[in-house]
Amino acid sequence: MPRKSMSELALQHYLAVGAIMFVIGLIGFMTRRNLIIIFLCTELMFQGVAINLIAFGRYWGNLHGQAFVIFVLVIAAAEASLALGLVVLLFRQKSTLDANVWRELRG
Amino acid sequence: MIGLISYALGVAVAAPRTGGLVSAGLLLVLSLAGAVGMILLLPGGRDTPLRKIGGAVLLALLLVLAALLGKTAAGVGFYFWIFSAIALVGAVRVITHTKPVYSALYFVLTVMASAGLFVLMWAEFMAAALVLIYAGAILVTYVFVIMLASEAHEGGAGGTGAETDLDHDAVSREPILASAAGFALLGVLLFVIFDKPSFSRAADSMSARSASAKVAPDISPANQPVMQGGTQQLGAYLFDHQVINLELAGLILTIAMVGAIVIARRGVWRSGEALREMGETLVAPATPIDDNPHSIPVVGTDNPRQKAYPET
Repeated sequence: MPRKSMSELALQHYLAVGAIMFVIGLIGFMTRRNLIIIFLCTELMFQGVAINLIAFGRYWGNLHGQAFVIFVLVIAAAEASLALGLVVLLFRQKSTLDANVWRELRG
Repeated sequence: MIGLISYALGVAVAAPRTGGLVSAGLLLVLSLAGAVGMILLLPGGRDTPLRKIGGAVLLALLLVLAALLGKTAAGVGFYFWIFSAIALVGAVRVITHTKPVYSALYFVLTVMASAGLFVLMWAEFMAAALVLIYAGAILVTYVFVIMLASEAHEGGAGGTGAETDLDHDAVSREPILASAAGFALLGVLLFVIFDKPSFSRAADSMSARSASAKVAPDISPANQPVMQGGTQQLGAYLFDHQVINLELAGLILTIAMVGAIVIARRGVWRSGEALREMGETLVAPATPIDDNPHSIPVVGTDNPRQKAYPET
């Protein structure tokens, strides 16, 4: 199947969607107080970045963007497993998911 | 606040068209209104009508932005609008819903819509991987942990605590500051994306980009015209050019798995003598003491070293 390269206008549209999704994740990261939702918001930011990367890869017609997204997925999976393990550990100590309970870590 | 908005409106009217898709002043107004809508929408222990107003404001802003971009619709199809609308609305619901399980499910919706966007960008393998890994593996883990770490509601007056939200889910932290910072960043990002004159000028003449691409051609094999499926190409690219990175990715996953097991295990840290003390009491009756098969005790003796059968 012939594949035309993407026009710059379409690239801008996809970049805008990625930017909006990243910022939504950022706002959620700053405002939510549930530890699990905080990590869910980092995944949301990963999504926005992945859309950006794939749009650029499509725009330049090469596979670097997709390969990069694969590694982003790997890091996201590793981060999710470690972070959820930490969340379970923290939950066992204070039996709450409130991030404000761990305020003393601020120093 | 009113003064700021009127000033922004004045800027928007007076802003010279710099050739971008959306002018800077308009972006400023949109970002300000978006921040106000987000502040209203974020859970703050308030009553629902205000949150509904905030949601309506955000939805209207999304429509306005789509209309602004859609008047120069070129290269994106009908499905782009559908998928991106679903993804963004789902993302907003992720960060504004007061129940964690619903947030996770809305995130699944966002992931599915993003996979649709990936398919539109000819990244079929990445779309499949996104659905499998994110919606299949990571989100299931999240939902598991949400279930596992479900907290006991502290009584309350009614006693039926299942319907009330917990305090740290229902009240967000610093919504005004976070919305201001986030939408300031969004405004700047959109300004950079849209207001670049070279972008839109080149978009007017499609041949300009292909001409400039001919000047500096990318001679990597990945840039050759695509003949097979994209997945085949991607696999060939990964194993031709990114072998070490692939191995490193596998290593990182292994280390993360080991680390997650070590972190989440119960009772890992004990001193040596405590372990030795526990060894006397914690050995199950049928545990072999050493490699000698005769050391396996018979059920019914207290001392595992005492053999309950005659020596042969």
